[in-house]
Amino acid sequence: MEMESLGDTKWDVVIEGTGLQHSLLALALSRSDKKILHVDGNPYYGAAEAAFSLQEVDEWIERLGRATNPTPFQNANLWKATADAESDETSKLSFSRAYTLTLSPQIIYTTSKLLSYLVSSKVYKQLEFQAVGNWWIYGADGSSLTRLPNGREDIFQDKNIDNRSKRGLMKFLKFVVDYENQSEVWEAHGENSLYSFLSSQFRLPDHLQMVISALALPLESPEKSTVNWALPRIARHLASIGRLGPGFGAVVPKWGGGAEIAQVACRAGAVGGGVYVLDCGMTDVKTVDEAEDQPVRIALSNGENVGTKLYIQNKKVEGDSSVKAVSRIVAVISSSLSSIFRSSVEGAPLAAVSVVVFPPKTLQVKNDVQENPVYIMVHSNETGECPAGQCVLYATTLHNKNSKAILELALATFSQSVEEKPSLLYSLYYEQKESKSSSLDVSFDDQILARVEEQWKEVIGQSGGDEASQFMQFEERKGMNADDEDDEGY
Amino acid sequence: MAEATAPKPSSSVKLVLLGEAAVGKSSLVLRFVNNDFQENKEPTIGAAFLTQKCNLPTRTIKFEIWDTAGQERFASLAPMYYRNAQSALVVYDLTKPTSLVKAKHWVAELQRQASPGIVIALVGNKLDLTNETTSSNPLGDDTDTDAAEGEDDGDARKVSTAEAKSYAEEEGLLFFETSAKTGINVTEVFTAIANAIPETSLKGARGPGAAQTASRTEDQSRVNLTGPRDNASKEGCAC
Repeated sequence: MEMESLGDTKWDVVIEGTGLQHSLLALALSRSDKKILHVDGNPYYGAAEAAFSLQEVDEWIERLGRATNPTPFQNANLWKATADAESDETSKLSFSRAYTLTLSPQIIYTTSKLLSYLVSSKVYKQLEFQAVGNWWIYGADGSSLTRLPNGREDIFQDKNIDNRSKRGLMKFLKFVVDYENQSEVWEAHGENSLYSFLSSQFRLPDHLQMVISALALPLESPEKSTVNWALPRIARHLASIGRLGPGFGAVVPKWGGGAEIAQVACRAGAVGGGVYVLDCGMTDVKTVDEAEDQPVRIALSNGENVGTKLYIQNKKVEGDSSVKAVSRIVAVISSSLSSIFRSSVEGAPLAAVSVVVFPPKTLQVKNDVQENPVYIMVHSNETGECPAGQCVLYATTLHNKNSKAILELALATFSQSVEEKPSLLYSLYYEQKESKSSSLDVSFDDQILARVEEQWKEVIGQSGGDEASQFMQFEERKGMNADDEDDEGY
Repeated sequence: MAEATAPKPSSSVKLVLLGEAAVGKSSLVLRFVNNDFQENKEPTIGAAFLTQKCNLPTRTIKFEIWDTAGQERFASLAPMYYRNAQSALVVYDLTKPTSLVKAKHWVAELQRQASPGIVIALVGNKLDLTNETTSSNPLGDDTDTDAAEGEDDGDARKVSTAEAKSYAEEEGLLFFETSAKTGINVTEVFTAIANAIPETSLKGARGPGAAQTASRTEDQSRVNLTGPRDNASKEGCAC
């Protein structure tokens, strides 16, 4: 058994990469009885959605430096505050494994199909989800942080909005939740900017255009966001609120975001009989003989050769600079920021993540004005990503020549704007390029699920018949006690 | 106290099973979960996931047990398994010294990579192949009678209790010798782990007993994916 090599098995499919998309594919195929080999060239799970301890971040940076092929990540560099022996526990970095810093701090809207698939495939029980509550916006009302009105109730209560604007805003909100049935209002403006649409059709003043645009979470300047693109996203935001409980519309998985989902999905793949090998990528793929059962020969980086019917490979990252990219900073700060997480909605669960938006032109570095919005996802220690008394901040903006300086300024401005005035303990900067298998979106992109379903059909479709059951719809596995249900009702 | 009739707090504990192939990992779990044993069990294909409750006087622990199942050779499942695990069962075969060497590797890796507070139990399995099967206490002194029986039966033990036990003490591990076949000490291992898990590290602890622990806020932040509405309809509908 132990001497058996990977080449002895006739594989139905070899999957490369354990990022979110390919891990979800492994989950989708976990009851298919297919012979599945799932490899990853990295020594860890999660690929572009991995999560790391501090030491693993160091190793990741080192590996990026050595990489010969283009990777989605580049220009990573790290800054750590000098440890002061005198300082108390929370104002210095703790040990390496006290942190789980994720490369995928995406929020997941409660209306996302991802959540319904995690439930219907039964793996949700191995995950713990936490609320993304409390949204903040900088510069909508002078140089300060204000709550981003998150739904109708918030807007009614918001004293910063005058009555005339309130009427326009309510009119817009009423429209947007039903926009699909009101094409006459927006279709003619589909390719126009959201800003001009809000101004011409709903007479919203500048600062409310800013607020509404923020709900769409665009990476580019909202002036460049079209009505076609933004309306469904704003509608998604509003439809998500209250769906899984009062006061929030999005969730994150505890213990490292997308990395946690990827691992739970791979575990489901392993439970279904899939074989997992890390630190082992595909080096060469050849189709030898179409007539054979296993027409594809794959050379693996561990020196083995395997035969398979199908393979699903990581898309190669483009080397040129025209590809869209974001700049990111992962920062650890010395406060639990309770002022940020204090809820304004009765009965809301304690938020573990708060979203802070810096609309364009609210920050200025030297003579350059900030072109694109900056998002900071504030993760409290409830996420399991840092020790008590600290927070992890994930800042993202579209990459350009001054994006690093803009991110640093956004973090500094944020720290000065909250009453705790935290200090910076750790700051990891990197750039990430867009690729087909990993989206740069700050919210989970349901398009990924469509791609997973396509690939699932491709693998399942070969045999046809009964196996082509419904996508991600599984019964409880034997051994899972039925009385588990009683834990869910609290 | 007024809470006397309230249900005991219940918490989930993730347990990962590690050890060389064929030391009896799956059999131990099968004995614990189903009180069953299969002679000449086939190697586990695919990684298994099982759950079993363990009732302690003050709380209920629900073990979520992850079995690496035949994939030991790639060592690629383990990191994903012991991530966030609160406990680990590292199993060796007490008739096979190399399996203890492998177990020590796993312990070292857990100490290096797993959650800092992880409770690790070192378990020497296949006690039934020694001459001590009648003893419920594997750490008890061998009597002359046992030794005589051992000669007759051919005692297959190759790892002494003293050796493994002193290693376990050095590393701060719980230590048991078990037989999945006869059931000796199997429940004891899991109960000992359940007792050793610090209350503050319990994930999703619920009920009045958990109110003063660190888990309290985790409870408040937890979101139920099946939603408030789903639950209401589930409970309200008898069909």
